[in-house]
Amino acid sequence: MVSLNSVLLISFALFSIGVAGVLIRRNALVILMCVELMLNAANLNFIAFARHSGSASGQAFALLVMGFAAAEVAVGLALVVALYRRRDTVQVDDINLLKG
Amino acid sequence: MEHLLETLGRNMFGIFGLLALAGAAFMVAARSAVHSVLAFLFTMLCVAGCFLSLEAEFLGVAQILVYAGGIVVLFLFVVMLVEISKFKQKAKLEVFQTQSRVAIVAVLAGVAAFAGVFRNAIFGPTSPEALVLRPELARGLDVAKENAQAVSRGLFADYLLPFEILSVILLVALVGAVVLAKSERV
Repeated sequence: MVSLNSVLLISFALFSIGVAGVLIRRNALVILMCVELMLNAANLNFIAFARHSGSASGQAFALLVMGFAAAEVAVGLALVVALYRRRDTVQVDDINLLKG
Repeated sequence: MEHLLETLGRNMFGIFGLLALAGAAFMVAARSAVHSVLAFLFTMLCVAGCFLSLEAEFLGVAQILVYAGGIVVLFLFVVMLVEISKFKQKAKLEVFQTQSRVAIVAVLAGVAAFAGVFRNAIFGPTSPEALVLRPELARGLDVAKENAQAVSRGLFADYLLPFEILSVILLVALVGAVVLAKSERV
């Protein structure tokens, strides 16, 4: 039997690593992966609460989040490829067209 | 040996969770994007192990199929499409950017607020059953043994509309990805 707090702790740590990755990495691909990691941490939370309360809603929503993550990756990778075609880079620092 | 296996089985969640954390840390720290993707794959497999140890069997397997089977392959393709030598040299100078310390404070404050709002749910007693369906949904089903059927009944009874909306979102994402990634003049 896993206690809810330990699951929450691990999912919080996963989410924090994801946030840190988004904030400190420059490569757009790695940033996308970190966003995926954050969605996974949220999923872990959903499942932990579903296990804790015995409700099926948490698992159902985790499934929906998984589908959403797949859609997000498809669009994100298309953006990265388009960016690479136009600007020859995938470093987010080089994308400063809208910077004032 | 028996004792060791029993201890391992009881702490399965902790083991997978810590491995997932290690994989995630390596993913953020790795200099090469390919190493990052491989660490990402490892992390996703460990998270799937966490799902399995939380008695969400269907989601654990779906996690392996969707992430290890689909998303990681997609990432690898794009890494190989994009990663060429001139870009690598540029990346070597500065891998990290450090700008925001406010974010860490904000995340910690968010966690404290979460624990405060949901403290009854978090510190309350855990349900003895992994999954409990309403009696009219659970008819003729062994909920404890047939996880996929139980989840599908919960999903399609209460969340049919979100499911359909998700299918539209997936279609929009598909079309959007094709439009974004196709070359200019075709």
